[in-house]
Amino acid sequence: MVNVGDMLVGYATDEDVRKRGASGGLVTAVLAAALEKGLVENVVVMKHINEFEAVPIITDDVDEVLASTGSLHSVPVNLAKYAMGRKVAMPAKPCDAQAVIEQAKRDMIDLDNTYIVGLNCGGSMHPVTTKKMLVAMYDIDPEDVVGEDIEKGKLIFKTKNGEEKAIAIDELEEAGYGRRESCRFCTLKIPVNADLACGNWGVIGDLAGSATFCQVMNDKGVKLLENAIDAGRIKVEPASDKAIAIRAKVNDVMVNLGSTLEEKIFPEIPDEGRIQFYMEQMADCIDCGACKEVCPVCACGEDSKCTMFHSLVDNYKMSMYHMIRLLHLTDSCIACGQCSDVCPSDIPITLLQSRFAIPAQRRREYTPGMNVDDVPPFFEVILK
Amino acid sequence: MAEEGWEPKIVAFCCNWCSYGGADTAGMGRFQQPASTRVIRVMCSGRIDPLHVYNAFLEGADAVLVTGCHIGDCHYVNGNEKTEVKYKFLEEMLQQLGLEPDRLHLNWISASEGERFANFINEVTAKVKELGPSPLKPAGVK
Amino acid sequence: MTEQEAITNEESEELRIGAFICECGINIAGAVDCYAVADYISTLPNVVTSVVNKYTCSDAGQAEIKNAIKDMNLNRVLVASCTPKTHEPIFRACVEEAGLNQYLFEFVNIREHCSWIHMWEKEDATRKAKELVRMGVARAALLEPLQSSEVPVTDAALVIGAGVTGMQAAMDIADMEHKVYLVEQGPSIGGKMAQLDKTFPTNDCSICILGPKMVEVARNENIEIMSYSDIVEVDGYVGNFKVKVKHKPRYLNIDECTGCGLCTEVCPVEVPYTEFNEGIGTRKAIYTPFPQAVPLRALVDKSICIDCGACIKACERGAIDMDQKETFSELDVGVIVVAAGYDVYDPEPNNEFGFGLYDNVITTMEFERLINASGPTMGKVVRPSDVKPPKRIGFVQCVGSRDKNSNIYCSSFCCMASLKNAQLLKEKYPDTEVYIMYMDMRTPFRMYEEFYNRARDMGVRFIRGRPAEVTENEDHNIIARIEDTLTNEIVNLELDLMVLSVGAVAPESTETVRQILKVSKAADGFMMEAHPKLKPVDTTLDGIFIGGMTQGPKDIPYSISQGSACAARATKFLAQGKAMTEGITAKVDDDICVGCGVCVPMCPFQALSIEDDKLKILTALCKGCGTCMAACPTGALDQSHFKNEQLLAQVKNVFAYGEV
Repeated sequence: MVNVGDMLVGYATDEDVRKRGASGGLVTAVLAAALEKGLVENVVVMKHINEFEAVPIITDDVDEVLASTGSLHSVPVNLAKYAMGRKVAMPAKPCDAQAVIEQAKRDMIDLDNTYIVGLNCGGSMHPVTTKKMLVAMYDIDPEDVVGEDIEKGKLIFKTKNGEEKAIAIDELEEAGYGRRESCRFCTLKIPVNADLACGNWGVIGDLAGSATFCQVMNDKGVKLLENAIDAGRIKVEPASDKAIAIRAKVNDVMVNLGSTLEEKIFPEIPDEGRIQFYMEQMADCIDCGACKEVCPVCACGEDSKCTMFHSLVDNYKMSMYHMIRLLHLTDSCIACGQCSDVCPSDIPITLLQSRFAIPAQRRREYTPGMNVDDVPPFFEVILK
Repeated sequence: MAEEGWEPKIVAFCCNWCSYGGADTAGMGRFQQPASTRVIRVMCSGRIDPLHVYNAFLEGADAVLVTGCHIGDCHYVNGNEKTEVKYKFLEEMLQQLGLEPDRLHLNWISASEGERFANFINEVTAKVKELGPSPLKPAGVK
Repeated sequence: MTEQEAITNEESEELRIGAFICECGINIAGAVDCYAVADYISTLPNVVTSVVNKYTCSDAGQAEIKNAIKDMNLNRVLVASCTPKTHEPIFRACVEEAGLNQYLFEFVNIREHCSWIHMWEKEDATRKAKELVRMGVARAALLEPLQSSEVPVTDAALVIGAGVTGMQAAMDIADMEHKVYLVEQGPSIGGKMAQLDKTFPTNDCSICILGPKMVEVARNENIEIMSYSDIVEVDGYVGNFKVKVKHKPRYLNIDECTGCGLCTEVCPVEVPYTEFNEGIGTRKAIYTPFPQAVPLRALVDKSICIDCGACIKACERGAIDMDQKETFSELDVGVIVVAAGYDVYDPEPNNEFGFGLYDNVITTMEFERLINASGPTMGKVVRPSDVKPPKRIGFVQCVGSRDKNSNIYCSSFCCMASLKNAQLLKEKYPDTEVYIMYMDMRTPFRMYEEFYNRARDMGVRFIRGRPAEVTENEDHNIIARIEDTLTNEIVNLELDLMVLSVGAVAPESTETVRQILKVSKAADGFMMEAHPKLKPVDTTLDGIFIGGMTQGPKDIPYSISQGSACAARATKFLAQGKAMTEGITAKVDDDICVGCGVCVPMCPFQALSIEDDKLKILTALCKGCGTCMAACPTGALDQSHFKNEQLLAQVKNVFAYGEV
């Protein structure tokens, strides 16, 4: 029936889910079916509060799963830690899937019990910044927004009265709005590390907007889809060559955008000024430890080598806490941006971390979070 | 850069079986060295955690040396190979941070290589003297 | 002092550190002002006494330390003198005698690392000495008492492999009155040596010297032979290994069978599978491995048996049992010796030098079986294509050895083997032309060089070169095209028979055993010893030893030596009845450990495993290298006596605010 490598286009059979879904509700239907048929015991979904707010919930209620359908670009939480210790299915941006796999490498998550439905991602945004942006750049009242999408480099908002406004992302970001910084230089837009890679890129013709493109990445993906088909929750058909080509093209555009922005986001630091640069960046740190708490790749408990060095004496300067975090994440940082998001001193931690992680990972031709069998280079026994 | 007559403080981590022995042999052979180095003994260079090195710099080291057995000679089979893996991360990080590369060294020295140990200390001390005190040194520390 | 009293001493809340600065005559005092150092150290926190000795290691010096411990209730002692590599054990014993745990002693090197290398900079040397001792004091304050532990040793040994090495090891251990389980995967003990015709450099008949040894092994009351058996599982650690052995079915009762051979006579199935004869000749479906086999019992090859029942009828003891199943044994042993031999290199996959393509290209082992009097041709050397005696025979050396395309190592016995075979040919068939095509002739040990000269004297011809091209003509003669590098001539050598002097490779069956035991593999594919010079038969795993071909290609005398060496090393544990384990080991804080497991692959001694989401450390195996803790992200793993806080205290005390 379904095979690894299949490129399919499909949608939820439930008309309501299909309509409310971001594009066809396939992901929701797959998650619901996984729960219904006992493939998993729980599903992690985002419970909507409004267009700019949602909370992650771990539910065993199919209705809650169905109610969660729809995409939210303004809720940039990383879901990996919610999968720990459970037989669970979850939707996952590429960075969520990366974090899940990194946790699996550290024995915190059992991949056999974790079904990952990947979602294409052009980037997520901060809710507060987004609301400001809607007023300043789109001239839309945030209350009127019913949906948003990122396509071909444009951020599109749909309003209650059926209007759609699109502005190029780089324009928004030049003006200081747009996506979170970590999303801007991200080049993993299609979650090929998940069990299924779903999104609306490549959905063309009459199905546009009401179907989901779905690439089957592995045996678990096959199981998820077949399970949903058997449950009568989804309909799928093979994607046309044209659709596949379009999807690849969109991905290329997004990836190139990411690579271009990387240069902008990480200006060269002249050698003489390096230490001063880093010391200044860390001078605002109050050692609250929030960055460690939210890091989805970190498997440590409360007490860890980095927190061992937390002391009042080390506030407001570069300290051992920072050095150890920088070190321990050099090979595994996925630049998800959670740390920057929570820093009460507004230190751009993700950018700092990436200045170390990006060259280190590239030099070793290692990307964290792609395959659970890849050993993080820090834990290699012999220099390769 | 540095005051006249300034002497650097160099922290050297040495493994019990090889490089510490090399330092001993340097002493037995009376190979004179500047008095800037402080040796800290560990059983295997693999014990050296980059956090020990960072700590040394943040406490005021002008240079840090990571030493151990030649590859293939490790008393514990492959401890020094693991040292190399960690050291690469350490080196890259400190470079990114902007610390002058001559402040961090990795050297494999066997217990019989006394002269080699002495030459190493002499070279490193000379280089570090030129560089001056480490930019990470806290104010007032000697 | 009893342990109880010693512990009470250490439990006193107040830290009381005693520092002893040694002048070592003028070795230290010549460059370091020891009194200034002692004065400075006395100003540091927790230091209750700080004195200078002329020679701390002397009886007087040691007495002073012991008295100070008693009189001043010291609970930490620091000596600043020479290198710990010389006197640490002496001082540790000294403090133990005074009732202080030996790990509460700190040694600071101010001689090799200070006075001797700053002989003319007294100020600098003195300041440095002060700082080094200050570092030592900071560490001493954090030291904790430790105990090295003992594990009991089960009084039994397992020897894996019953070739000449395994047999020697088994006999030596058994002669020292210890029980030995000798497990052999084949149906008979004896190994490859039983297949050889004569052995260099004495040209003794191989089975004639091996046979009596095999009988000795069988008769030894302390040796239990488990033939036709495989190692399935090994758990545990030195002194306490639990071994699971599988006994493959022979389809007859080994206690009833007498090896009379009647079953073999009546068996109607005859096949050209002859393991012992290297594939030459035939055997029956029910057969004994070879006439001198120990145990001399038959076995059934079920893959070709047609269940005709002829053997069952013929057997006068009713020994045959076609329904026999495999059985298992669980053994408790204290030590393991691995002497599992080698496989002959197989030149067939690449048809090297025409092997597998042309009938008349054979290996040395096939040659051994041909020339052996009890072989398939009764000792007549004949060529495979027409079963006629060859008049021109050539040996090609270094096949599968010293070769970038197969194995780069030298197999060490092949030169001598060919010299021997060449001599035997010349003796048996004086008119035969015998050639050896070689790169180098390696004949190192006693009588070996003389052996080579003898071969030359007998008229064996040596061509320094290896065939670049091998073809055969219509008569199936082998044409070898070689450059003789000594005469710079190209030679087209026509031979009736070509023998490839093949090397040794690590057997696949041994790879399974190696993985079960977790012994490291060396670069050449054989098992790895702990240290190539100083510990040639130990492995990094306490209680497991390797010898013979398992430790790399070698000849029979070397193998027997290693067999005895393994026995000696293994019996140390059996004789003492206990194994000491390291006091400086890894420790884990369960509250902090999250069970991520990244430390497990770091350990070269198999001491770490994750159980129930927490790290479990087999302290008996931990050697205290500390490489696991450098990887541990949480810091839950730490090393006694080299804890992070101890090392960091030393680092911190390198520096000071202000002058020292």
